[in-house]
Amino acid sequence: MQSFQQDCVDLAFQKFRRGQISRRGLLTALSALGVAPLAGGEARAQGNRQLVMVNWGGLANQGFGRFYGDPFMAANQGWTVVQDSTGPSAGRIRSMVESGRTTWDMCDSSASSSNLLGRQNLVTKIDYSIVKKEDTLPVGFALEYGAAPYSFSSVLCYDSAKFPEGGPTSWADFYDLRKFPGTRLLRRDALATLDAAQMALGKDPANLYPLDVRACLRKVSELRRNAVYWNSGSESEQFLRTGEAVMGQVWHTRATVLEAETNGRIKFIWPQALLQAGIFVIPRGNPGGEMAQRLLASMLANPEPQVGLLQLLGNGPTNPRAAALVPQDLRRKNPTDPENARVQVVLDGNWWGQNYQQVNADFIDTITG
Amino acid sequence: MSAAGRTGAGWWLLILPAFLLLVVFYVAPIAQVLTISVTEPELGLGNYERLFTSSAVQRVIETTLRICLITTVLALLLGYGIAYAITLARPRAQGWWILAVLVPLWISVLVRAFAWVTLLRRQGLVNNALLGAGVIDEPLPLVWNEFGIIVGMVHYMVPFAVLPMLASMREIDPRLLAAARGLGASRGEVFRRVFLPLSLPGVIAAGVLVFIFSLGFYITPAILGGGKTLMVAEWISLQILDLIRWGLGTMMATMLIAAILVTLLVFSRIVDLRRIFGAGA
Repeated sequence: MQSFQQDCVDLAFQKFRRGQISRRGLLTALSALGVAPLAGGEARAQGNRQLVMVNWGGLANQGFGRFYGDPFMAANQGWTVVQDSTGPSAGRIRSMVESGRTTWDMCDSSASSSNLLGRQNLVTKIDYSIVKKEDTLPVGFALEYGAAPYSFSSVLCYDSAKFPEGGPTSWADFYDLRKFPGTRLLRRDALATLDAAQMALGKDPANLYPLDVRACLRKVSELRRNAVYWNSGSESEQFLRTGEAVMGQVWHTRATVLEAETNGRIKFIWPQALLQAGIFVIPRGNPGGEMAQRLLASMLANPEPQVGLLQLLGNGPTNPRAAALVPQDLRRKNPTDPENARVQVVLDGNWWGQNYQQVNADFIDTITG
Repeated sequence: MSAAGRTGAGWWLLILPAFLLLVVFYVAPIAQVLTISVTEPELGLGNYERLFTSSAVQRVIETTLRICLITTVLALLLGYGIAYAITLARPRAQGWWILAVLVPLWISVLVRAFAWVTLLRRQGLVNNALLGAGVIDEPLPLVWNEFGIIVGMVHYMVPFAVLPMLASMREIDPRLLAAARGLGASRGEVFRRVFLPLSLPGVIAAGVLVFIFSLGFYITPAILGGGKTLMVAEWISLQILDLIRWGLGTMMATMLIAAILVTLLVFSRIVDLRRIFGAGA
């Protein structure tokens, strides 16, 4: 299953091919990939102290280096932040920490993974005397075991040409096959999908959790005959572009591409979209110790680089001061723009952290076979 | 040790590297798979119990068997026609026929699956042509379902059905057919009572080959199934990679191997298996 971070990288390559970002930007990223990212021991021997930030590869290497690493290095002389694009899945973090030789300081993870890892004592608690809670969004972005310098969202995206009398405005419409006939597109993953189903069942978005898993799964199975499922972001884009599906739940980064490409024929809406936190975690026993907390604090505290990342990869900023810095034409695409954030629902990472494994297995069993 | 014994040992030494390679890279991992299936998440046959209790597991097996059977039958029907035509064709034409059967085999399975997507999707060639001709009003759901999977798999399997059947048809002595005609049988009767029974071993061999091949099919169903019609191979990969339910995944892998072995065992009593796999023509 492709993660959101990997998909950002894919998307950036596509943008480059269409000439939407510069060759220089891409080349920097590629050369960054060619250089061995872990010069760990050597650099430390020279008295140059460094932190290792782990991302999901490709352009994130450049994006995170430039917008997260550089500002920190400028403020902390003698410290270097290096990028490693191994892809810090929960499984990899677990095997590294359990082996007792942690070499990572900061990992691009998720709310549910941070909770899972935290409960297994594999990641360090965030020290909120160093990391400022008020530098990120109030609910769901500053967790016990991780904090989010970026955001993304699962939005309802539809082909407006198929619905001349007005498109869907809620997940209830999404699940209403009589009013809006046609194939639906869902991610083959329970996370965010069941949350939308719960809203379609009529539960108040403000009190969405805990999800009624059985009812949600029943709701999802109603669509089974009229649904296709995506694994990777490019796949989701393709299903909607070619008209295989008339409506889908997809990442906002893909929806914005479709909207621009079709001149607004394919639309997406922010109301009831599932806003998710791009949570970073600090593996237990990380070599940089407390400095990793300071790095995280710096990533959260600087709004300008976050806006830069929005322009490059589409990741929404989380610093409250960032939204105002976003250029007018990008605001529609920014999940944390006040106008957009107000109508979305923040996905509950804690609930998912406790339930993800079992619920996702049940979800897969429900939609397949 | 006698001279003959030493020569024997020499031959075994020659085989040894290949044997070790197989043990290390093939038998050992399979043994490990078997072990995991009875040790994760806990020691015991809990994973195998799911075969009888979990409707999801049963559904996957049922879907796989259904698709494999339909694919086998269709591939055999189409393949039989082709093999028959080739057998009766002139030698020059035979060469071209065989080339036409083999060329698709050389094209990547991935390319062929995507080609079918292009043809069968809602705005694909087939639907657009039918819509344009006024035959249908709404695009037909030709892909992202079982139908799409079967189309893709039959396309892949036809050459594998043709080749064993062709081999066995070529062994049929044409004089038998002439004799039957001479004794007053009609064309249809000659086919039904002489040609068909004589070609049957080839048909069974082709059927076994296609069926076993279909059981473990991965790429074609993954691409044409739209994420919801799962066959065993894709289901296993899902358990292993995404759901981290290794015990369940390896249980199914073990069942797949068992199913293949049992099929081979049963049919080895009916046909000469060596022929299926190309040894001894």
